[in-house]
Amino acid sequence: MTVTLSSARRALRWRDASLTRQRRRFLVLCLAPALAVLMVVTLAPIVSLVVTSFTPLTLTNPTTAWNFREPLLNYRLLAADERFRNSLWVQAQLSFWTVGLQLAIGIGFALLLNLRSGLVQAVRTAFLVPMVLPPIVVAIIWKVLYTPDISPAYWLFKALGWSVPVLITSPHWALAAIVIADTWEWFPLTMLMVLAALQTVPEELIDAARIDGARAWQTTFYVVLPYIRGTLMVAGLFRLIDSIKAFPLIYLLTAGGPGSVTEVTNYYAFEQAFNFSYLGFSSAITVVLVLVTLILSWLVVRLTGWGTLE
Amino acid sequence: MRRNRRLVEAMTLLLALLALAPFLWLVRMSFETDTEIFAFPPHLFFTPTWANYRALWDGQFRLSFFNSTVVCTVSTAISMLIGVPAAYALARMGRRSEALSLWILASRLAPPTAFAIPFFLAYRDLHLLDTRTGLVIIYLTFNLSLVIWMMRAFFENAPRALEEAAWIDGAGYGQTLVWIVLPTAAPALAATAILSFVFSWGDFFFALILTRTRAMTAPVAVVNFMNYIGWDWGRIAAGGTMVMLPVLVFSLLVRRFLISGLTAGAIKG
Repeated sequence: MTVTLSSARRALRWRDASLTRQRRRFLVLCLAPALAVLMVVTLAPIVSLVVTSFTPLTLTNPTTAWNFREPLLNYRLLAADERFRNSLWVQAQLSFWTVGLQLAIGIGFALLLNLRSGLVQAVRTAFLVPMVLPPIVVAIIWKVLYTPDISPAYWLFKALGWSVPVLITSPHWALAAIVIADTWEWFPLTMLMVLAALQTVPEELIDAARIDGARAWQTTFYVVLPYIRGTLMVAGLFRLIDSIKAFPLIYLLTAGGPGSVTEVTNYYAFEQAFNFSYLGFSSAITVVLVLVTLILSWLVVRLTGWGTLE
Repeated sequence: MRRNRRLVEAMTLLLALLALAPFLWLVRMSFETDTEIFAFPPHLFFTPTWANYRALWDGQFRLSFFNSTVVCTVSTAISMLIGVPAAYALARMGRRSEALSLWILASRLAPPTAFAIPFFLAYRDLHLLDTRTGLVIIYLTFNLSLVIWMMRAFFENAPRALEEAAWIDGAGYGQTLVWIVLPTAAPALAATAILSFVFSWGDFFFALILTRTRAMTAPVAVVNFMNYIGWDWGRIAAGGTMVMLPVLVFSLLVRRFLISGLTAGAIKG
């Protein structure tokens, strides 16, 4: 009796083990094609990018391919390149202002709109529009607004008797023009993220602060915003990483100019590679950008706990 | 308090108008003639014309629009086909790897030149420059990551009781996935597919670099109206409107999922 029972149990356990083994095999089978494709389309290109960055590759001169005689040449040139350093500075300014403004405006509007009102709920959808437009369409829209001949904004300025310079061709204003357009495109994202986070703030917390005599602005600054700081961090990081990719706006509005006042690093890499055909040098620039992106993405993974099971 | 509410509502409307006005202006321009576009002061009322759209449809733009549709549909389909099972597997393996998360996230967030340069070089040798196939493949770089990321989050939160019941009833793992798990995931699947279509539709950079004429997509075609004889504002506006219309409709359909799609699931809208 005991013998049969224990052997049955053993058989069951064996069946169980083979089931989990079978299941594991099934899951691996599900995963394999995607991982294989990801290897080919993302890992292989990055490896090839790094390899290319060690060569002086230009398409006009075939002997520059697979030429590793001076692997660090591009990086040495980069360190001494005035235009590269300028592009980093432009990038820093663009990132600082766009992320800062998008967070500030996003938080401000979200606090304003965080109201249980039918109208506010209905109108929220309108704020989605700028960020779901294809980026190139956003660039076209702002090209229209920044072109005095056809811009309703410039008509308004003229009617009011103001003389406003043509922002996108002015060395002083071109970067600001990009910042304005980018902020218009993306403040809805931070706003909606903050709105979603605001709904998670417990009523009791706000009530407690109020009972303790806190004013509305004190409650906002000392209770609500600290409570949602996780969201704010993630929103800021995402916008920061995205601001490194800024391309269509710059391509269409200023083409990096006038001079190089709006030439961010990503745009500089694009020009070196596809206007001047310095693919090796451009790869070195891009490797730097990828490293920055990796560090920032790693921060996101850490902050959100994506690396571990919650 | 009541007056306060009125004030907030009025400001909301004003802000919404501010967010929409630039976009509405472009749509308006697309129905104007050149004389209307350059009229000063702008006329409040005008007779709309389809002339800009007709000119687009009779020209090369039709092919570009078709290219965009084909490339984005195929790339989305492939990403879903191999990405969804992978997402399911990752959600059910019960372990997470930080390296894998970082890899998937970073390939979505990497600067586009990082992929453009190696793909450009490889496509020159493989004769994939200016082909729709080439675009489909490079769009997998971000579409596949998006699908895995969004669907994994969904499967992790989905209850497992149904699957386990199906196994006990003798269904195979594959059968369970196809007949039990996927039907309950239908809304998330639809949203993910739409987002992946929308993101590839919006691509400008890769299409600019990897296509010339035959495989040119609609966003690049619109910008080309700016380079030749003068600036054809009417056609640019009409082309821009046509490029944004499908994604606008699609995105608003899945607005519930939009925020989590744009932030790789960090925030649930």
